[in-house]
Amino acid sequence: MTPTLVRSVIRARRQNGFAKRYPIFMTPAKEVERVPGYSEDGIDLTLIDWMLSLTPAERLNFLQRQINRILAIRELNDRA
Amino acid sequence: MIERDFGALLTALHDAKVEFLVVGGLAAVLNGTPVHTYDVDVVHRRTTENVDRLMPVLESLDAVYRIQPERRLRPAKSALLSTGHQNLVTRYGPLDVLGSIGEGLGYEELLPRSSEMLIGPDLSARVLNLETLIEIKEQLGGEKDRAMLPILRRALERKKR
Repeated sequence: MTPTLVRSVIRARRQNGFAKRYPIFMTPAKEVERVPGYSEDGIDLTLIDWMLSLTPAERLNFLQRQINRILAIRELNDRA
Repeated sequence: MIERDFGALLTALHDAKVEFLVVGGLAAVLNGTPVHTYDVDVVHRRTTENVDRLMPVLESLDAVYRIQPERRLRPAKSALLSTGHQNLVTRYGPLDVLGSIGEGLGYEELLPRSSEMLIGPDLSARVLNLETLIEIKEQLGGEKDRAMLPILRRALERKKR
């Protein structure tokens, strides 16, 4: 590594906070795409991806179980 | 508490060969949107033959209007042939039988915008697509509809990837 290259690597590491987390011999992998967990309007994209990984039948079963649990909890609290 | 059994509601309609499309929140869920819904919304074909198939199913489900359920009012044939909304409660939970949705879209208009989905071992149903659900929510413009738009739009984007 030339001194100029070393300086540019150090600068890059400082700029993205990489230096605090990783030793000097590791360089940031700029090519690694960061997958956002949330969209710009605040939607949890991981939850959408998880739902999309299910079949429609599994989505229906999941919804039904969730709704019945919520309703049961509501009923218990209404009684209390 | 009436335990929801969306599958049983759809099975009853399917087994009686009622022509219908799943719309609303359940269609959003079946299309992969992580939202909750407490009822089943369907748009049925408003022909005499189809309504004749639908009425005994509603009776077998003990369907009565949700407003003042103690009066046990059942939907009349004329109501089911109209474009109006019949908001019912059944032994398996609330069921909205809709003559049309959005700006007057009925079964015939919505059919090409739906797809057949397998939703149980012996159960398939036609489900409205996300594009149309979004379009209708945009048209309606109510607060509840607008609130659902971002998650529907993101689900559509992720689905298309």
